[in-house]
Amino acid sequence: MIQVIHAQDLLKALEAETVEKSQPTIATFKGTHISIGHSVETRKKGVLEISSMNRFWNRPIPDSEPTQTFVADKWNSRVGLDYGVLDRFTVGAGYSTDNRSVDVFGKYRLFYQRDSGKTFPFSITLFQGGVYREKSSIRLPLYEGSPMEKEVSSKDKFAATTQVLIARKISRNFSLQIAPTYVYRAEDGLVADESAHHFALGFGARYKVSNHVSIVSEYYYVPNPVDFVDTYGPFSLGANWELSDVLLQFKLTNARDFVEDQFIIKTGNNFNFRDGNLHFGFHATYFIQL
Amino acid sequence: MNKLLLLLVSVYSISFAHAQDGYITRQGEVTFFSYTSVENIQATNNQVLSLFYPSSSRIGVQILMRAFTFKKSLMYEHFNESYIESDLYPKATFEGDIIGFDANQEGSQTRIIKGTFTLRDITKPIEMKATIIKTNGAYTISGELEVLIKDYEIKVPPILSPNIAKNIQVSFKFQYVPNDDQK
Repeated sequence: MIQVIHAQDLLKALEAETVEKSQPTIATFKGTHISIGHSVETRKKGVLEISSMNRFWNRPIPDSEPTQTFVADKWNSRVGLDYGVLDRFTVGAGYSTDNRSVDVFGKYRLFYQRDSGKTFPFSITLFQGGVYREKSSIRLPLYEGSPMEKEVSSKDKFAATTQVLIARKISRNFSLQIAPTYVYRAEDGLVADESAHHFALGFGARYKVSNHVSIVSEYYYVPNPVDFVDTYGPFSLGANWELSDVLLQFKLTNARDFVEDQFIIKTGNNFNFRDGNLHFGFHATYFIQL
Repeated sequence: MNKLLLLLVSVYSISFAHAQDGYITRQGEVTFFSYTSVENIQATNNQVLSLFYPSSSRIGVQILMRAFTFKKSLMYEHFNESYIESDLYPKATFEGDIIGFDANQEGSQTRIIKGTFTLRDITKPIEMKATIIKTNGAYTISGELEVLIKDYEIKVPPILSPNIAKNIQVSFKFQYVPNDDQK
């Protein structure tokens, strides 16, 4: 009897002495990318991440023509480095092969979601990216009305993306993100009656199926797509698998590029299973604590 | 019936009287190590809450899982998200008795602490050797123990099992001061 009373007392006494502290909610998403776009997550101070991002796809070739390519006809790849300058501030840079582009970005965690103590419902991160793309997607007439074409000048090969990433870890398994996005693409402004300014709204979600595997999906809605070429909203469906220091991301998507301005505004094919439209994506991110 | 009630009340008040001579620490230190040939993992928690009652030799410990700090920030995330699941089980607790403890003995004495440890809502009996030092009316208790991860149903995927030890080495050090703000 004495023991029972004692035991209950001890746990109650410990409980009574507890001071509840407000803790930020961790791991809304596991990586700095949900699938194709950025997530609210930043890396902690002193963390270096090396990432290899790849997309594979087949060219649309009529059935009568034999194909000779092994596994996939085309491949686009981006190698990137991300570094956590502060717990809240991550910078990164990368090079993609398809358009020979060099991109840099910075993202700053403005608010952490807090579920206990002093609560806050969302995580909010500001994202700013910039890119120089050597291979332009458009050709300009040499002079007014000329059939000859010229290359876009270097100063018009820049583009920038600004995003407000807003996410909530709704339950321990399910997280949702909304991303109002502004894109500036200098080369689009050169086309008659087109603007260099674009807006989009991104949606992203992840569902954790086990402690190490989650299913992720992303879609960007572009309300005013460009007129001079057919574009489609980029969509992605994939799985993320965590293995100690490595994060593996597999996906099916219609987005061919890795840099935000290009895949959000200029994805030129729809999402379906035909050659030329279906892209298989594989990202590997290696984590190093410096 | 009345006598029984009286007995119960008196027993309760005795245990309450025990609580009167309580000692407390809020900055108790608990460190755990996982040694494997692949990877060594170490984490320290400096915010462990513990209560100690010398006259009844009872000791209680409450460990906030989110307060463990790791050298690698990714390990902190994996520890909380994938292994301990600290959103579901935020605390680990220990309660037990120091066997053969002499509250009046100044200086150091080495004793066995017997009790129960609760982690992830799973309670198991546990025993450890500890050193209790009494100086100037304050107590320091330190010791080491081993925890088997399978006892607490911590799931490690087969591909990662070489990275995480089956036996986790735990060491602790609590420096108690008299608990003044007791009700």
